Amino acid sequence: MSTDLFQVISENILKVLPDVDARLITPERQLKELGANSIDRMEIVMGTMEDLGINVPVTELSQAKDIGSLLGIFQRHHAQR
Amino acid sequence: MSDRRIFITGMGALTAQGMGVPALARGLREGRVAIRAPQQPALAGVPAAAELDGFTLADALKSFPEGAGPLLDKARRLALRAPRPIECATFSALEAWLDAGLHAAPVPAERVGLVVAGSNLSLRLQHDTAKKFVANPEFIDPRYAMRFLDTDHVGILSEVLGIRGEGFTVGGASASGNVALLKAWQLLQLGEVDACLVVGPLADLSPMELRALHHLGALSPGGGREADQVCRPFDAGRDGFVLGQGTACVVLEREDSARGRGAPLHAELAGASLVLSASHSAAPDVAGEVAAMRNALARAGVAPEAVEYVNAHATASTAGDEAEVQALRDVFGGHLGRVWLNATKGLLGHCLFSAGVVECIATVLQLREGFLHRNANLREPLAQDCRFCGDAATGQSVGVALSNSFGFGGINTSVVIRRS
Repeated sequence: MSTDLFQVISENILKVLPDVDARLITPERQLKELGANSIDRMEIVMGTMEDLGINVPVTELSQAKDIGSLLGIFQRHHAQR
Repeated sequence: MSDRRIFITGMGALTAQGMGVPALARGLREGRVAIRAPQQPALAGVPAAAELDGFTLADALKSFPEGAGPLLDKARRLALRAPRPIECATFSALEAWLDAGLHAAPVPAERVGLVVAGSNLSLRLQHDTAKKFVANPEFIDPRYAMRFLDTDHVGILSEVLGIRGEGFTVGGASASGNVALLKAWQLLQLGEVDACLVVGPLADLSPMELRALHHLGALSPGGGREADQVCRPFDAGRDGFVLGQGTACVVLEREDSARGRGAPLHAELAGASLVLSASHSAAPDVAGEVAAMRNALARAGVAPEAVEYVNAHATASTAGDEAEVQALRDVFGGHLGRVWLNATKGLLGHCLFSAGVVECIATVLQLREGFLHRNANLREPLAQDCRFCGDAATGQSVGVALSNSFGFGGINTSVVIRRS
């Protein structure tokens, strides 16, 4: 399942940042490093939540430091659905 | 009379005639009616429309030359996932920018302005977002907070092109394109900027606006005709306008700046005027239309007798075309029979916010290339004293033209365009 979730996040990153090289999307990278501004980051997160049918509180999301920890938060919520 | 000469140095157009200004020029010369039975779901129930289809910004960006590289990268980043009106506006703005040579011989960023025509540019986005919101308010795209503002056009286009002068949106209903031309012309006259982009965006209406226009009686019900015969400007059988989808952009520039950069002088925007009718209604106002044309001519220092051609507002509405003919009689008197008249809307539909900019380009193309396009579906002219263009393009060389746009809410505008 984690591979699938990673795929969903990747797709949303590429939707918002179409010029990013897909190979640069790795769990240890921050969205900021890929050139995402604060609205871009929100859009990626919202799009992913919509695709997964989950809703994560903003306070919890703000603790995510990189793509990997974002993935972890989404996995937890997705499993609890 | 204005003391500074303002020229059109760049043009970009995306219309139902195709992608780019050359496609528009070809369509006008051939007199191709781009109106047909609508295909897009948002236009369901409308009898005819001139649709933009087959356009994607991603593909369109590949049509630009290599030299535009950095601009195209920015356009990809900022506009590829933007709503359709912004995608289309980005294409037209890039075409005009490159045509004016602003990538190769730039004007300082703070001396370039940007005026975007129209208001409520996100209607279909709002309609679609509302449906989604009712189903689940949690998943509203945060970017909608910016997208619902008309100024999203200003932000995106200024960032793509690096424009740092004055910039804003200006609404004038169906006259928006001409209002934007006027405001840009005034900025240049005041010396606030040296070059100014005027963008006429796609009117991306939702089924709600289309239905309201239908109920108002403004939109043609079709009358059981084939789609390409529904739009009949100046014809006795006219019964309302047909929606056109189109985007256009012109670069206006002061003469000193244009000559200094070696920019092409496509034509001169010699004068422009806006006159209100003190009315909130949709009804045309002959006195307001007359005043708009007269003021524009006075500002250009052009006598009515010097005008050879009028690109009419002519939406094919029953009352509107009749009023415009009466206004033309008042302005031109005995000279009316020597003024050529045509209606670009018969070929392209009514592009609403962008109509004035599209028709400015159509006028420039005709002045520059020495032809006048035909009047589509004009079988039984509503007036015998007018010199309407016939059923085929004529190889007519004209030097001075008026382009009219009149909008709901008593907004009457006219611009004077002179061959360079």
